[in-house]
Amino acid sequence: MAELAALPDDVARVSHELPLRANLSALDNIALIPIYQRHFGVDESNRQALHLLEQLGHAGIAALRDPDMTPAQRFITKLARAIILRRSRLIIDRPGAMLYDVPYPAFIRELAARAEMAGTWEIFDFSWNQALYQE
Amino acid sequence: MNFLAASIESLGAKVVGWFTVGYGMFAFLGRAGLLLLDRTTWNRPTFDVVVKQVYFTAVQILHVFMGYTLVISWLIITIILSTARDFGLTEFASEMTIRVLVLELLPFLTALFIALRSGSAINTEVALMKVNNELDALAHCKVPPMQFEFLPRLIGGGVSVITLAGLAGLLALLMGYLSIYGVSAAGFEPYTRTIAKIFDFTIMAGLIAKCALFGLAVTLIPVTAGLETPKKLFMVPVSVLRGMMRVFFAIVAIEVVSLALKYI
Repeated sequence: MAELAALPDDVARVSHELPLRANLSALDNIALIPIYQRHFGVDESNRQALHLLEQLGHAGIAALRDPDMTPAQRFITKLARAIILRRSRLIIDRPGAMLYDVPYPAFIRELAARAEMAGTWEIFDFSWNQALYQE
Repeated sequence: MNFLAASIESLGAKVVGWFTVGYGMFAFLGRAGLLLLDRTTWNRPTFDVVVKQVYFTAVQILHVFMGYTLVISWLIITIILSTARDFGLTEFASEMTIRVLVLELLPFLTALFIALRSGSAINTEVALMKVNNELDALAHCKVPPMQFEFLPRLIGGGVSVITLAGLAGLLALLMGYLSIYGVSAAGFEPYTRTIAKIFDFTIMAGLIAKCALFGLAVTLIPVTAGLETPKKLFMVPVSVLRGMMRVFFAIVAIEVVSLALKYI
């Protein structure tokens, strides 16, 4: 975990320690990033955010707020938020803490295949979970 | 001797604590003021949050607030009129009504109303954002919380207190007229002359400044109190308690200073 704390700024993290803004919908949580970082208009940012959710196969969660989401839906929103940051590395930090309602290595693999993103997603997990990834 | 040393130490710690809190608040206000002047602050989401804040703080409660103003104004006007009649001072009744209600009591009650309703909500929300790491998440995404979360609340609070106090004042003026002169145009000329005499430039500027300060107090203090919350869920009620006590003292201090400047 010390490695995580030392991660540089150019890393996009998906972590249970970085929650969604509770009073915003999934779409708004994702769309905030193009608005504030790349100065896109609201309509264009919403379009980009929705496109990303569609790519991940979960456009239906766009209007949901954090408390109304399942753990998997929350994870997908956090993942989309990390992807839209367009940083050189994307790290999924202890997925077991976020994805306790789905068999998570398979779920993440499925998302990675769907998203057709450039680059790789790195997963930081506890060593005793290593067996899960070898299935 | 030990007791004396402990007392001095405790007093010193308290004074240092007050200064730290005060410094934190003014530093936060300074940063917010600088951001206000920055052109990039004014994007659509920030503006949307300002509009939402004004809606939740002022528009959503308008009917309740106007009802409450109506009852308070009617009561105070009736008391002032009957007292003025008893002492044979009826000619001063309209001026007394305007000074007591429009300049002092209604802005003060408006600030208390907004503090209890929105100030406490803001304090709780910011404290929860801090405790739940939502602010860290925004910082990780390089979305500036000051621009997106805090500044709109400060602006919304200021706008809401000024407009609600203004509306309450107008309603009180109307109630005052109806109570003194009834449904007749006969008193229009002396009543408007009294209003014009009272509301000179200095009084108007002072009233607006006082309402703006009330608006700042009921939003700035809860935001900074929320940000001071340690990352422990059980500290949220303590943060709200501290924040609301500070808001109360700030509102009273603003009112006392305003009265002293006007009448002493």
